[in-house]
Amino acid sequence: MKNEVNTSIKKSVAFKTLGCRLNQYETDALVTNFDQAGYRLVNLDDSPDVVVVNTCTVTNQSDQKSRTMISQAARKNKQAVVVVTGCMANNFKEKLESQDHITFVVENNRKSAILSLVEAHFSGELLHPDKLPNDVFSYQPVQKSLHTRSAVKIQDGCDNFCTFCIIPMVRGRAVSRPVADVLENVRKTVENGFKEIVITGVNIGRYEEGETRFEDLLAKILEVPGDFRVRISSLEPDGFGDSFVHLFSHPKLMPHLHLCLQSGSEMTLLRMRRMYDVAQFRKTIQQFRARYPDFNFTTDIIVGFPGETEEEFQQTLDAVSEFGFSHVHTFKYSVRNGTRAERMEHQVDEKIKNARSALVRQLSDENRYRYYQSLIGKTQEVLVEKIFKNRASGYGDLYVPVEFQAREIQKNSVYTVRLTGVAGEGEKLFLVGELSNNQFNSSCQKSLRTLPVRHSCQ
Amino acid sequence: MEKNDYAGYPGVQSRMEFLKDEKKIDESFYKLIEIKQLTDETFSLKLPKARFPFKAGQHISVGIHGNYQSREYSIYSGIHDENLEILVKEVENGYFTPRLHKLKAGDLVEVHGPFGRFGIGPIAAEKGKFVFIASGTGIAPFRSMIRSYPKMDYTLIHGVRSSKEAYQREEYDPARYVLCTSQDPKGDFQGRLTGYLKKCTFAPATQFYLCGNSNMIFDAVEILQKKGFKREQIHCEVYF
Repeated sequence: MKNEVNTSIKKSVAFKTLGCRLNQYETDALVTNFDQAGYRLVNLDDSPDVVVVNTCTVTNQSDQKSRTMISQAARKNKQAVVVVTGCMANNFKEKLESQDHITFVVENNRKSAILSLVEAHFSGELLHPDKLPNDVFSYQPVQKSLHTRSAVKIQDGCDNFCTFCIIPMVRGRAVSRPVADVLENVRKTVENGFKEIVITGVNIGRYEEGETRFEDLLAKILEVPGDFRVRISSLEPDGFGDSFVHLFSHPKLMPHLHLCLQSGSEMTLLRMRRMYDVAQFRKTIQQFRARYPDFNFTTDIIVGFPGETEEEFQQTLDAVSEFGFSHVHTFKYSVRNGTRAERMEHQVDEKIKNARSALVRQLSDENRYRYYQSLIGKTQEVLVEKIFKNRASGYGDLYVPVEFQAREIQKNSVYTVRLTGVAGEGEKLFLVGELSNNQFNSSCQKSLRTLPVRHSCQ
Repeated sequence: MEKNDYAGYPGVQSRMEFLKDEKKIDESFYKLIEIKQLTDETFSLKLPKARFPFKAGQHISVGIHGNYQSREYSIYSGIHDENLEILVKEVENGYFTPRLHKLKAGDLVEVHGPFGRFGIGPIAAEKGKFVFIASGTGIAPFRSMIRSYPKMDYTLIHGVRSSKEAYQREEYDPARYVLCTSQDPKGDFQGRLTGYLKKCTFAPATQFYLCGNSNMIFDAVEILQKKGFKREQIHCEVYF
């Protein structure tokens, strides 16, 4: 990662981000924008001149967190320009605009132009956020980031209209970024020093530009020269075939998928208007595991969807066990105004949702422990994110957290680590390991180019 | 004038972008031509010709001018039809459909889309053998398919409570249309469409398209799978 110091420092900016990877990516791209324009990146407590809160509205809890974050940011920085953007800005635009402590409310489709809005404000120009250019892809490659890995946005919006989901209303309809633009973004991100690229968007499996589908784009990304590895952010489990499975034999593509199941009940999936059924999901998992036995699957589950019976919930528990997800992001269903599920009968009592949520989390913890145990004795290529005292930590190729003893270790570098045990508990469970013997020399940092073609995840 | 002509004049450029957006907004509004009453509760809403290409079977989102809410409806008209139509059943004490029902000719309706992958393209339509299974207003995407590809080899199985809900059945070839009525004896089959399905045999390569409420789809998929049809042959669109 380049750490060029911009000498023409004039003002400071702080960012707060809630929600998904896409939001995180968009913040990172804005950080790069502001950095290149000479702004200092500071914390909320450091009296920034500008505060940007990138909100989320996917659940009631996200709304609550976003509201709290906006209030805190504004209260601490009464003189600052407070910009609220993200999905909540789309969903509650007028309400947010009426609040005195917010200077600007910028919808998602104009988010990439926030710097020009702020610059116009400081130069005394009156510019309404609605007059900013409407472009969901005009983010430049991330250079300065709040994270070790950098996302590349390939797609925005969703046309699925799942009955629980507000996203089509706040992110708009599905649009795909041109192939050349994506590849250029990947190239520049790699040039900027990132070792891991996360392919992101709202519904990336539905990428379609001309004849190029998601799998085709992914194949092109993997052929971009350079030492880097590729991850896929969360994916809807529909619409990919054998060629997608085959792509994971490429050494750059990491063997982990966050495949959103949402429910293990066919009936609930129909009410959710999902585009797949449990049988299709099972087939996908089996295809991957037949070829890559250690492949790591994580998922999202919604509990307490309207009409979810005990039997249907049990089917979800059965699916979580059967598919062996090493992490389940569990959401208690919350009503989103304007969605079809808002008008459904048989809304589930909050106490029942809490109990169901606890059961899924418990099962998820058990799965994780079993999965991590199964990896002991195997090796992982760990991209180091943190070094503290004499320990280094980061994520292995399977997207499992790994900690190992650090000697002459550098951040943002990849090391081969032999896994020796597990530590921590629950969601904080992690693998511990040691540098692999055959890697343990003065140049133990691994070049991704030397990785063999992977046939299993060992 | 091209966008690049304004390079170097960011204010002008952003205003041009805004105007482009306004044009898009205008294009999404349609003047209502007619509301045609089909039963006491159900009506079709006729708009000018679609300003977008669509695949027979896809849906659109429909809003009423001045109202922030919108709903999704399958397109009821064919791809070459002079009018864009949807089929609507008024929900008793509902919020949206009673308002939609009260619209008059000339009122503005906001349309976005098309959306969805439920549909048949021209090549598949000419080659395949199709069974369409619909409950209630779930017949809408199939009318669009049949009007779009009149030579299609299809059977349409329509499940309703009473025979008066056989919306515009005169449009379909009587030899290809099966009405299943659960609450009056006037259907071709008396009982639920799932009861009819259980008795049927279909050619092995048949493609099944199902549209209707989730209970019907759940049961129908199970019946078809028990008959040996693969899930890949069964395409579903859930209605509520």
